[in-house]
Amino acid sequence: MPVIKLFYEDLENLTGVSIERIKERLPLLCADVEREEAEYLDVEFFPNRPDLFSVEGVSRALRQFLEVEPGQAGGSYEGEKLEKSGIEMVVEPSVLEVRPYLACGVVRGLRLDSSAIESLMLLQEHLHRGLGRNRAKVSVGVHDLARVKPPFRYLAADPSFSFVPLDYEEEMTLQEILERHPKGVAFRYILEGKEKYPLILDSSEGEGRTLSFPPIINAERTRVTEATEDIFVEVTGLNENVSVALNIIACALAERGGQIQSVVLRYPNEKEKETPCLEPKTVEVSVEAVRSLLGLDLTAEECKRCCERMGLGAVVKSGGAGEGAGERAGERAGEGAGGGMLEVKIPAYRFDILHPWDVIEDIAIGYGYDRLKPELPRTAGTGEVHPTEEKKRAVREIMTGLGFFEVLTFTLTSERKQFELTRQTFREFEVVKVASPLSAEHTMLRCSILPNLLEILSLNTHRDLPQRIFEVGPVVVRNFKEELRLAAVSTHAAANFAEVKSVVDAVLKEMGLTGSGVGGGGAEEAEAEVEVKVVPSENGAFLGGRRAEIILEGKKVGVFGELHPEVILNFGLSQPVVGFEVLLRQ
Amino acid sequence: MKEELTASEKRVLLALGEGEVCDQRSLSEKTGVNEDAVMQTAFFLAQKRLCEVQEEKKEFCRLTAEGREYAEKGLPERRALEFLRAKKGATVEELKAAFDEQEAKIAIIWLLKKRWARFEKRGAARFLVPTEVLEGLPLGADEELLEIVAKGGESEEGGERGEGGEAERVVSAEERELVSRNLLETYSRVERKVVATEAGREVLSQGISAEEVEEEVAQLTPEHLRTGSWRTVRFKRYDVNLPSKEVFPAKVHPYQRILDRMRRIFTEMGFAEIKGEIVQSAFWNFDALFVPQDHPAREMQDTFYLGARQPTDAPEELVKNVKEMHEHGGSLNSAGWGGAWRRELGEELLLRTHTTAVTLKYLADHPEPPVKVFCIDRVYRRETIDATHIPEFDQLEGIVLDEGVTFCNLLGCLSAFYKKMGFPEVRFRPGYFPYTEPSVEVEVFVAERGWLELGGAGIFREEVTNPVGVKHPVLAWGLGVGRLAMIQLGLTDIRDLYQPDIDWLRRARVRARV
Repeated sequence: MPVIKLFYEDLENLTGVSIERIKERLPLLCADVEREEAEYLDVEFFPNRPDLFSVEGVSRALRQFLEVEPGQAGGSYEGEKLEKSGIEMVVEPSVLEVRPYLACGVVRGLRLDSSAIESLMLLQEHLHRGLGRNRAKVSVGVHDLARVKPPFRYLAADPSFSFVPLDYEEEMTLQEILERHPKGVAFRYILEGKEKYPLILDSSEGEGRTLSFPPIINAERTRVTEATEDIFVEVTGLNENVSVALNIIACALAERGGQIQSVVLRYPNEKEKETPCLEPKTVEVSVEAVRSLLGLDLTAEECKRCCERMGLGAVVKSGGAGEGAGERAGERAGEGAGGGMLEVKIPAYRFDILHPWDVIEDIAIGYGYDRLKPELPRTAGTGEVHPTEEKKRAVREIMTGLGFFEVLTFTLTSERKQFELTRQTFREFEVVKVASPLSAEHTMLRCSILPNLLEILSLNTHRDLPQRIFEVGPVVVRNFKEELRLAAVSTHAAANFAEVKSVVDAVLKEMGLTGSGVGGGGAEEAEAEVEVKVVPSENGAFLGGRRAEIILEGKKVGVFGELHPEVILNFGLSQPVVGFEVLLRQ
Repeated sequence: MKEELTASEKRVLLALGEGEVCDQRSLSEKTGVNEDAVMQTAFFLAQKRLCEVQEEKKEFCRLTAEGREYAEKGLPERRALEFLRAKKGATVEELKAAFDEQEAKIAIIWLLKKRWARFEKRGAARFLVPTEVLEGLPLGADEELLEIVAKGGESEEGGERGEGGEAERVVSAEERELVSRNLLETYSRVERKVVATEAGREVLSQGISAEEVEEEVAQLTPEHLRTGSWRTVRFKRYDVNLPSKEVFPAKVHPYQRILDRMRRIFTEMGFAEIKGEIVQSAFWNFDALFVPQDHPAREMQDTFYLGARQPTDAPEELVKNVKEMHEHGGSLNSAGWGGAWRRELGEELLLRTHTTAVTLKYLADHPEPPVKVFCIDRVYRRETIDATHIPEFDQLEGIVLDEGVTFCNLLGCLSAFYKKMGFPEVRFRPGYFPYTEPSVEVEVFVAERGWLELGGAGIFREEVTNPVGVKHPVLAWGLGVGRLAMIQLGLTDIRDLYQPDIDWLRRARVRARV
């Protein structure tokens, strides 16, 4: 999530609120204070609120949230305040196949200091990363309007076209930029496979000079500096979010005292479009829906105030779906149900409101999460532990009773541990591998627990013996099928087959399994129990003649014995180890 | 004082009696306990200042190997003298022929030195002849001494000692001579004498009964029980403060105990536990939860994909509903995400990134209220391992589906849970998750650490519940378990939960610190 650096001085100037009050209330707006430094705060904002990715946007939200400007909310950037710049941008057909979406705007009358410029650059970067999906879907360019000559053209150019890119002094072709310029190298994947590249040109000399090579780099000559007064913003991309990004940037600059002006986009076929569009979107929300979803007894007027604290304009309307006595909408609570409808105006820089519940969340935040009263639901239910967990609990009781300590290991492991170190034949088709492992240690889901236990022993060679540990948990085998298994190991100088067989017999007996291989019990006890056979095994993890398999109803369900000396040494151990692993039926 | 004494200590004290000085032999005889054991007891009494052990170093002598030989055969000069008498004199060569050369030399030196013989010229040869005084010569003092020491038997360190003990005498002047002839050797030994102190005599004066000095029993035996002798024998008293040998009960993993506690709390609150598969389709893990198909969390760098696809197991109608919801908000008053929803992206298999995939599947199968279920299980995120991040960890998920449940009810469930877990102070902040609205982040107050964020929650968006046929609000939460466990177990590295030090397991208390 984006972390925004907010300088105290800037924040106080832009909000008129003391930094102490801001620190106290900011977390209740929609932010997570990551770090408090002497001069600034690092604040993590949620990805659905790119309008807060700048000190300007945060200040605007705080002024509304803390009611510095009551009643101003939602009205600041409405359509009627938008002037026309008279500037045109011609969109050529060639670019529609490469990067078809475009939105442009102008902000005039700015006086930017270095921190305002830094904030603008960081805002662009955050928009690129989140909304822009690393520039693939949206990319922004800002230019000093005084240095370029409108009208502009948006076209697809040949890779051999050249200009002086930002941070360079000599001309480079588009191809060279992709090959050599750091930004070209970082973002060329977006243009992979394209024969021509997007380009924005102005009207100076002959065929025009370059503003930018979206989504890669701007031209050096249009760089925004402290001397810049008027800014031209262009946003290109692959979807409608270009408008969202433009609105966010334009409104942030307006916070610095700029006047937003529109640009006319001329598309092929005489089509025309004017951007930005700052007309607020309207969402209707019934007060009853607010009350019932939040569990708060709010009147329509209270809902309106909460909206305004969140920068949403709200008009209380009578009536509304299913509300007969709509005239009472604006009355105080206590007079019965506060019915009615709210007509909520969503500022053009907000793009997270998809559904009326998004407005309801804003109302809850406007009301204050700290004022909400937790209350248990009245829904009845029968508490019940899952049968698998009941089984695991029983197994834990048996195993700890037998002197084994429980461990809980990772289910992600490697072929090396699961097969190579344990002398198992690699069975590709049984293995669930991850496509892009982060390390050689975690390449697959375990299909056996025993190697994990040996690994734990290998981490504890400096600890007293005997060591006896077990784990009960899932393994994943062929066709992504999960099995519940129990495995255990015991290591000490005298560990042998007889020891592990006693333990296995005890476990099987406790689990209600008995048979030829299981001592005691007696014929009469065996009635309700399932017969189990123990036969010699060929499993390579164990030592020949000192290993056995457990057969239940003709199926192999477990293995036990003395671990093979090679396996013991492979795990860096120096004492005999015995162990078993058995399937637990669900 | 008397009560603290063992029976053997009391026995030794009795043997010492009033002011009598005893050596270890006499003490041993009086108590019937061997000397080493009795001295050990005496030392214990000395530590308690009830007796005094005086030590004196004494020198003794014993036969050397040569001395033992001569004690049996007689000194060489004695045997040579007898030879000379029988032969009425003999030459050195004759002597050497009769004895071995070395012995003959020794004999000649001592015959001359003791004046038992002298040289006499007979013709050209020199003869050694007995002197006159030697008619019926009695044994010399040295020979007598040799005989006495031999009779006393030789004593070596730690060996058996002969009767009478004459061999162990302080070394006299005659003996020095035998020592210098290497027939005797000297050695020293510490002789101990024990005497009761004033305090000891005071204890004695209190009287020690015969019963008190009876043998103490270290172990109750079946024999004692069978014969009833347990009634009369004296049991050795234990020092209850002596350190014992450390043993550890085998245990359930401390982290498992915390997981089980959470499980119990939710069942107490009337929730039923559900389970699901580790391997899920992107459809259930993301699409059905209204996570847009281009959302960063879905990228390879955050999620473990398997590089395999499977036709979705969801009913076709549900797939259609989800598709429409993503594209334009379905039949709801929602914008959706726009763009085209691609079925094949939903067919990608992955390791579940949250258990929400499991709860949503459950909701699709049980859309009618009321539903109160929870799930505690492993989830997977593609994170590089360090002290606070691991690629798989546990999550506690819960939902309530019912008519009329509210956001405040959600906060109520979370508060109740954390209170039961031992965190009475809970607070809420706005949060963001793609599939809930309103959303909330939960923080609890931890002493010395401050407010810690432990979980996220919210009401499932209608875009999530509508396609699966749910018509009422669903309160949902997904809480981190590992961080809470680390706080309660006092760990700073989350890896220690999964790759434990066995000694930590042995020592981790069953009752965890809260």
